[in-house]
Formats: sequence, C-alpha cells, structure tokens
Amino acid sequence: MAEKTIMLVCSAGMSTSLLVTKMQAASKARGMDTDIFAVSAAEADKYLASKEVDVLLLGPQVRFMKGQFEKKLADKNIPLDIINMQDYGKMNGENVLNRAIELMN
Amino acid sequence: MNNFIDKLSEKLLPVAAKLGENRYLKVLRDAFMLAFPITMFGSFVVVFNNLPFFSDDTKGSLGSLFGNGQNATMSILTIFVTFGIGYYLSKSYDVEGAFGGAVSLAAYLILTPFTMVTEGGEAVSGVLSLDRLGAKGMFIGMIAAFIAAEIYTRIVKKGIVIKMPDGVPPAVANSFAALLPALITLFIFLMVNAAVSGFFDTNLHDVVYSVIQKPLTALGSGLPATLIAVFFVQFLWFFGLHGQIIVNSVMDPIWNTLALENLDAYKAGEALPHIVTKPFMETYTVGMGGSGSTLIVVLLLAFFMKSKQNKEIGRLALAPAIFNVNEPLLFGMPLVLNASIFIPWILAPLVTTSFNYAMMAANIFPTPTGVIIPWTIPVVMNGIMATSSVMGGVLQIIDMALIGLIWFPFLKLVDKVNLNTVSMTD
Repeated sequence: MAEKTIMLVCSAGMSTSLLVTKMQAASKARGMDTDIFAVSAAEADKYLASKEVDVLLLGPQVRFMKGQFEKKLADKNIPLDIINMQDYGKMNGENVLNRAIELMN
Repeated sequence: MNNFIDKLSEKLLPVAAKLGENRYLKVLRDAFMLAFPITMFGSFVVVFNNLPFFSDDTKGSLGSLFGNGQNATMSILTIFVTFGIGYYLSKSYDVEGAFGGAVSLAAYLILTPFTMVTEGGEAVSGVLSLDRLGAKGMFIGMIAAFIAAEIYTRIVKKGIVIKMPDGVPPAVANSFAALLPALITLFIFLMVNAAVSGFFDTNLHDVVYSVIQKPLTALGSGLPATLIAVFFVQFLWFFGLHGQIIVNSVMDPIWNTLALENLDAYKAGEALPHIVTKPFMETYTVGMGGSGSTLIVVLLLAFFMKSKQNKEIGRLALAPAIFNVNEPLLFGMPLVLNASIFIPWILAPLVTTSFNYAMMAANIFPTPTGVIIPWTIPVVMNGIMATSSVMGGVLQIIDMALIGLIWFPFLKLVDKVNLNTVSMTD
C-alpha cells in the first residue's frame, strides 16, 4: 500500500496518463512511495468509490467539470485542483507533483 | 486583445460546465460508451471482410461466414444504447441500474412492430427487422429509453414498491422492489403503442423516423452543420476546453446514426448515402494528429523551425501526436489562448473538411463506410480502415499538406519572435 494516492482525471485518461509516467519518475527520484494514476471522467466515480484517494487533479481541458467534482468530493475531504496549463503542456511531472504534495499538506 | 480573450473565456466556462454536467447528455455519452466495444468488434469484422485487395467473390463468402459479427453488434446497436440509457439514467438517480436498463429496452421493443414486409410484398409476423433495431430505430429507441427510465425511477423514488420483510435475500428483495415500477412503466408504453396503432394505423417507429430522425440526420450530414460543429470544437479548444466532449455529446447521436445507415448500405452493396458520419469526423479531423489535425504542425515545429523552444515542443509532442493525442502541443506551445495562431487553428480544419466533403461528393476519393475506428489509430492507417481503400489514406496525406501550407507562415512568425526574444535576453 502506497503512502499517498494521486488521481488524475481528463476526458479519456490518455494525455494525463502521459503526465502520470513523468510524475512517477519524479516521485521515484525523490524516494517517495506514491500511487499515481489517470482515469477518464466517466470512470472517476468508480475509482473514487473503490480507492483511497488523497488528492484529485483535473486536466485543464476538462476544467469545466470542476463544479461537478466539487459536489462529488464534498463529503470526502479530498483536495481538488486543476493542473496548471503550462505544466500540463510541458508534461512537467516535477511541478505537478509539487502541487499535489502542497495540496495534501 | 488579451483582455477580450479573458472575458470571453469567463463567459464560455459556465456554458461548457452546463453542457458537461447535463444529466441526459452525460447518460447518452455513457450509453454510447457501453456500446463502444461492441461496435468496435463489429467494425473490425467489417474491415477485415472487406480488405481493399480482396476480390468481390472473397468478400461475398467472407460476408456469409462472418456476417454475424456485424449483424449481432453494429446492426442492432439501438438495443445496447437503449439498455445503456436506462441503466445510466437510473444510476444517476441512485436507483439500481440493471432493472432500469431492462425496462428501457422492453419499453422500446413494445413500440417496435414485430412484423415486416418482405421484398416480394409478403407480410411476415413474429419477426424483428434488423434496421428497426439499428439505424432506423435509433431515435425512437433513445426517446423511449429516456422516457421509460424517467417514469421507472420516479415511481421507485416515490416509494411505490413492494417491500420485503427482513431476512429475504437482497437479490430477491431487489427484483420485487423493481416489480411494480416496471409493471406500471411497461403498461403505459403498451397503452401508447395500442393507441397509436389502433387509432392511427401506424407505429411510433415510422413517425419518429420521418418526423424527427430523418430531418435531423439530414441536417447533420450537411456541410454547413458540419463546419459549424468543427468550428465550435476548435473554438472551445482555443480556450483550452475539451471541444469534442462538449460538441460531440450533442452531435454523436446524429453522427452515429449516419454511420449505421452507411454501414447498412455498404453491407448491401449499395452506394453510401452519407458523406459526414461519425468516422468521417474522427478520421478526417481528430485522426490526423488530434484536434485540429496537428500532426503536420508538430512535424513542422520539430524539424523546420529554428528556435529551440519550438524544436523542443515539437519533439515532445511528436510521439503522442502519432496516436492523435495533442495536449502537449495545445498546452505546451501553447496553442491555447495564443492569438498569433488563432487563424490557422480555426481555418485549417474548416478548409480540409470542406475539401474532403467536395472530393467525396465528386467521387474522386472514397467515403467512409461507417465502420467505427478507435480515434487513437494513427493517420493514413485509420483513413484506409475507415474507407476500406488505400485512397482514404492518400486523401489524408493531401489534407496534411494543405494544413501544413496554412500553418507554415504563422509558425515562421512565432519562430522569429522566439528567436528575437532569446537574443534579447542573451
């Protein structure tokens, strides 16, 4: 069981999965034990129900779903944020991981 | 300019959120997703039965051997969609989904004539015709499924259920809980069907087909509506909003129905009735490197630009772009909110869509047959699969050249600005 679980959500889970590999590399380099994974918006409910998620990050292209996710997370105390556009485009795993850690603390 | 863009962006977000959160559109999206693996299977069967180098004889015998791969999937797609609508709509109201799905499917079948007239003019009863379970029945199926699931869940929510005492196994209790709402819902549909056939001597299938489905699909298959859809996808992406997820949730029912109609004609060896279908939209826009068909743009950035910034982003974005994922380019270059590339971003796909439409209308290039191709299949390959012809891939190469020509001067300008800023900071 990993220490922290980070869940990324975009429309199909494709482009965020690219970011996941970069974040995993960044987390490994720091010797952290984190479970990072990407899912599509449609699958998000299923994972939220079955997994202990510590932080949820939305891809900037689905940032219009923020309100919807805020409602879903209302009674769960899981922090939620939208991934910074520049970091997303540059696939900057370091920065996004930093932001995730910041949110969890 | 930037101020204006920011203001517009603020206005767009709530609209996108409304569409993205709309219960019925979401259910419809999920229902089509449920049918997706099934249609994918049917599509692959059609593609392999009709490989471009097979003779007509080979295709014929493959069709009779493996035709059920299509008959049991694509041809009866409406069955899966109606079940999916009932399932997901019930679930969205926190009501057990499987019963809602079954009720929706039954409600739709109640409205379906179990008779058909053969080509010889003979009326046969006790049969369901494939077209009513597929393309022709799509809209009545969606409407019936939504109404049935609405009625069903409302009755369940009102608490009009038969409650079982404690100690009864949950599965048994669930089936009893669904009983009364299901009976009432189906009874309403049966009465409606009896009234329509008794008083008007027709059926809701034919009425919905000619009054709603035909006009809507005719509109959706036309070039103007298609260009408007392409424009909005590009426009929304310009603000960094997922254009397809928003536009497609409205257009998919139409585009999918058009694809099924094409496929039925293709199977029967007739001329394809529509140019614009779901695979046309996928293969000839997203299928060329992602939204905006940007594979060629990535190649230009990686290999024909001088500034380090452009080269880097081009190389980073190349591998995903081959599989039609272009978020690295959209957010990395960025294209999003970048006024200097607004013109090619909007213009290029409008030009290629019009060009492709004209080429297909003139029969110079083949029209997509209606098989559904996963959007992550790389360019040229997806074009060949979508049209069952090598020429389908050739057309994409011409498209990419066109897009490259439109983009090149704008990219050069961005490149020049980049080089200048670097030399200034040095």
